[in-house]
Parts: sequence; structure tokens; C-alpha cells
Amino acid sequence: MSQIATTATATSSVETFFTIDMPYRESMEIRRTRFSGGDGPRAAVVSGIHGDELEGLYVCHRLAAWLEELLRTNPQALLGSVELYPALNTLGLDTLTRGLPVFDTDLNRAFPGSAGGPLPARLADAIMTALAGSCLVVDIHASNIYLREIPQVRINQEFEGLLVPIARRMNLDMIWLHGASTVLETTLAHSLNSHGTPCLVAEMGVGMRITPEYCDQLVAGILSAWQDQGVLASDLELPPATHTPFIADDSNVHYLNAQTSGMFVAAASHWTNVHRGELLGSIVSPFSGSVLSEVRSPVDGILFTLREYPLVYEGSLMARVMARKGGRS
Amino acid sequence: MIRNLLCMTAPVRDGFDIPCHELGPTFSHLSVALVGGLHGDEINGIFVLSRLADFLTGVEAGKYPELRLVKRVLIIPAVNVLGVNQRSRTWPFDKSDINRMFPGSAGGETTQRIAYAVLEATKRADFRIDIHTAGVDFEELPQVRLYGPSEVERETARWFGLSAVMERSMSPVFTTTLKHSWKVWPGQSFLLRVGQGGTVQLDHCQRVFRSLVSFLGRTGVLEGVQLAAEDEDTCFFDKASGYRVFAKKAGTFVSDRQVGRWVGANQELGYIYDSFNGNVIEKVLSPVAGLLTGIRRHPLLFEGDLILRVNKKG
Repeated sequence: MSQIATTATATSSVETFFTIDMPYRESMEIRRTRFSGGDGPRAAVVSGIHGDELEGLYVCHRLAAWLEELLRTNPQALLGSVELYPALNTLGLDTLTRGLPVFDTDLNRAFPGSAGGPLPARLADAIMTALAGSCLVVDIHASNIYLREIPQVRINQEFEGLLVPIARRMNLDMIWLHGASTVLETTLAHSLNSHGTPCLVAEMGVGMRITPEYCDQLVAGILSAWQDQGVLASDLELPPATHTPFIADDSNVHYLNAQTSGMFVAAASHWTNVHRGELLGSIVSPFSGSVLSEVRSPVDGILFTLREYPLVYEGSLMARVMARKGGRS
Repeated sequence: MIRNLLCMTAPVRDGFDIPCHELGPTFSHLSVALVGGLHGDEINGIFVLSRLADFLTGVEAGKYPELRLVKRVLIIPAVNVLGVNQRSRTWPFDKSDINRMFPGSAGGETTQRIAYAVLEATKRADFRIDIHTAGVDFEELPQVRLYGPSEVERETARWFGLSAVMERSMSPVFTTTLKHSWKVWPGQSFLLRVGQGGTVQLDHCQRVFRSLVSFLGRTGVLEGVQLAAEDEDTCFFDKASGYRVFAKKAGTFVSDRQVGRWVGANQELGYIYDSFNGNVIEKVLSPVAGLLTGIRRHPLLFEGDLILRVNKKG
């Protein structure tokens, strides 16, 4: 464990919470940064569960910088404690691999895990153990490398009552309520929520990149949520939270899948209002000057997902449009 | 007859198909559907099903006068065609697992469309068989896997004549698999696990080929099959009968043991060496007397990796 800073009332440290031996001499260690203040609630932020998603790592950096400054200037304002887990899939992040290398496993389909057995199960169990009892966990994802997303929270409708009020304060642009789907039972968020630890899934940007403005937007929201939870003093001045989310669910999200294969070229900008029939992009042929297919918005709404990686197969998702449901929540 | 379940375009190459064999009386009710290669690196199943298609084509052509194919059979040797050609378990373009895309959707993502086409083609069969291997690191004794089976499926599982039938409860992990999607349709569903991924293991393949021919004989699909009274002594194993050994230490695992052998309690089954120093750091012992139903084949071990499984006879 390495100590970063200590004041009379608060400390921060980087510590290893999981270690496992690898075949040839090395060990894999996973670390967290802990900011400890008063005896108040403990909050956590996790990211990098997919090795190709970097947005959350930058959010952790920004939060760490903010908390380090707080410990220097106003340590009494940290009423509880904060744990940052920026890189849960350490090996994947270090080798640009989405899943757990060697095991060819999506770590976010391995929860709740078990104390014995192979790495994915052990790691999932260690993460569950470390996060249990937190007043709030925010699990930050980027999109994959194919799609760009606006800053949003995704909530399983099973936990809607508990999580939506928290999510409204997160300074994000959309709350997407998903119908209960059993496949998601093996995610970190579902496992934590099922075991009584509130967990919000934030998703934004695109894989393998960072979008600093989105990250700063989420930082402001997380700080607000921590203040609501009593982790931060109620009179502490925070960066302004200026975003109010739209509510989306299965009834107003429209998927635009490619009618044919080729190269998708966007005609509309991400995170803009679009109108029914408006051209969002085209699928063109690299072998000729022909346009193979036009992609048009099915409704008036917000273009909240837009393809980033140009090549598409028949069926590839190119865009999602959210039809308005009576304005922001 | 060969037909395409699905024809799709690709971004910069020719389109691709998912072909299947349709054998037996045309226009009759589909009796047996066999599916392999949902994962592109599970070659044992692809090989067995392609050989079975060749065999049944020969039956139809009169190559085996004593045999008659009297009901319709559908064989899809490989669903993940692009994965097979690129030696990839998943759909190579976006790394999605086709066997986590069921029931699929006609207008959804590429792999959802593939899943939809496979389910539509197979779901009405009386008997549905999905063939898999273990991963590329592990070898499984050829076995029938039952997930939350009916009593009838338990009995029918014997017709394969394989030495092991493994029963498991349904887990949420399997909800989006082909096997699970089949369950909502009338008929019986089975999953066979055959050996190790990434290779063809001829002994295993021959055994499973014989077991499928035997199954077609017992179901009355293929008339004239000479059926042994008991092909093998089939053992039923539930999850509690399986004793797994995990690596207490990381290193290099070496073993010359074969799956399908009966082993004694505390029998030495392999060794873990320090990968750098070369010394033996752990002897791997059988935890119980039983059937060695699975063993690790990739030598490099992380701490905690599954090394082997022995199933105790009930």
C-alpha cells in the first residue's frame, strides 16, 4: 500500500485488493485508490471492466484530482470515504483486449463469481466483496469501438424505484430503462443491486478513446450524488450540475440496423435533434460510386447513438434515435 | 440436398451463406436437427456432422443397401462459417458469441439474424442436437449434457450410447443459448460435448459418429442399423458427483492421462512445474475414485485454473 496524502482528518492511499499468480513468475495485481475521511458512508467508482473502454479511467483521474485537492484544502468536508477502481480488467487494459485475456471471457458476464476456481470467478468475487456495503457504486463504461453514445445511465427496470432518483442527479443526458433480461443477471451491476448495494451503470463516448467533456460532465454528477449520499458535506461547493436527463425505454428507442453491408458514412451529427425522414447517413460501396442504402430517421427525436466504425455488416447497428416523450424528466 | 439457411452480404468481399444438408423424405415433418459450429473453433462437432452428412447422403444414394433413411434430417455442420474460416470461436467482426444471441431477431444485429435463422430452421424438429467441445484449453470426455431435462429426455439420452450423461440445472448464463431457446418448443433437446476445441480428435469423433448413427437407428429415423443391446455402460452424473481440481499454484501442468479412464482416489494424474525453475511444485491427485471426465490440455496455468474433473459413480 502506498500513501499519497495524509492530513489530520483524511488520508488517501493506493492499495492492492486482488492478486493472482500467472504461469511464468508474474503476478496480476488489481489496485484501488482509497480516500478516507470521516465515518460517513463509503462510495465507489469502478471502470475498465472491459479492457477497451477508457472513459472511466479518465473520470477516475479527474475524481482523484478533485479529491486530492479537497484533502489539501478542506479535508473535513469528506464525511465518508471514496474508493476508485479505475482498472478492474488490468490485463485487458494493458493489452488492448476487451475481455479477460487468456480466458476469453467477458468479466462483466462473470458475476457474482466465487472465491475458488479460475481467475474470472475469483476476480468477480473479490470485486463483489470489496464493493459490498457501499452506499453507491458507479460502474462506468464507454461504448464499444463501433458506436458513440451520449452520457447516459442504464437501469434495469427491476431496480427502477431505487436507482432512478439517484440517476436523475448524475448530470447525464439520458436515463435508459431496460426491461428485465436474465442475461444481465451476470453483470456487476445486477449482482450488486441484487445483493443490496446500489449500482448505477454510466455509459458514454466510444471505445478506445476518451471524451474529456463527457468525463467532466459525469464527474460533476458523481460529486452531486456523493453529496446527496452524505459522503461529502452538504455545504461544500461543487461544480455545477447542468444536465437533466431524458427518459428512454423500449417504447421510444428506435434501432437502425444496416440493410446491407458496406461502409457507413454519417450525414448527421451525434447528439442532435433529428426529424422523421431526415438523412442520418448512407451505406456506400468501396468498389464503386454507388450508394447502397440510405439511413433515415424513423421519428422526430434525438440521435443518441451513432456508428463510429464505418464498415458494417448486414444487421450492424448504425444509429439509435430516441423519440421524445414529453420533454425532459 | 444442400440449401442455404441464410445468405448475407459482407462489407468488402462476396456475400456468405450458412448452408445445411436436408436429407430424407422431402416435405415430411423434420425429425432430427443437428447443429455444430456455433463456435468457430469447435472442430470435432463440425467434422462429425460433415461426416454424418456424407454417410446419410450415401444411404440415400443406395451405397448402404441395408439402410433406409425414412424420416427427414437437417444437418448444419457449422453455423459460424466466418469463425471457422478464421479459426475464431466468436463471430470475427464484432467478437460476439452467436450462442449468446438466441432467440435472435430477423431484423436485428448480424449475429441475431444468424441465430434467428438457425432457430427457425430447427425448432420444430422432434429431436434437436447441438454439438460443442470444451474450450481450446480443456478436453471433455464425449458426453450428453442435459440442462433441466424432462424425464423423457433423460431416458432418450441413453440412446446415444455414450459413456457419460451429465445433468445440470439451467443457469441464467444459458438463457440466450440455442439449447434454451429450443426448450420452449415441443420435442426433445440434447447437447453433446466432444473433446477439446481447436482440433479434431479422431477417437472422440468416431465414437460420437457411431453414437449419432445409433441414435438415428433407435429413433426410427434410419432403418436397418444394427443396434448393440448396450453400446456402452452409460453413467448418469449430476453436478454433485463431479469433483473438480483447481490449481493451487501457477505453473506448467503436464499429464499423460486420458479422459474416459477410471481412476483411484489419490492417484497421481499430473504434475505442476515451476515454469522458470523447472522443479515440481505440486502433484495433482485424483480427489476421489471415479471416471476422469475432463482434463486440462493447455499446460500453462494461472493460480486457480481448472485442471481436471473426476465424476464419482453414484
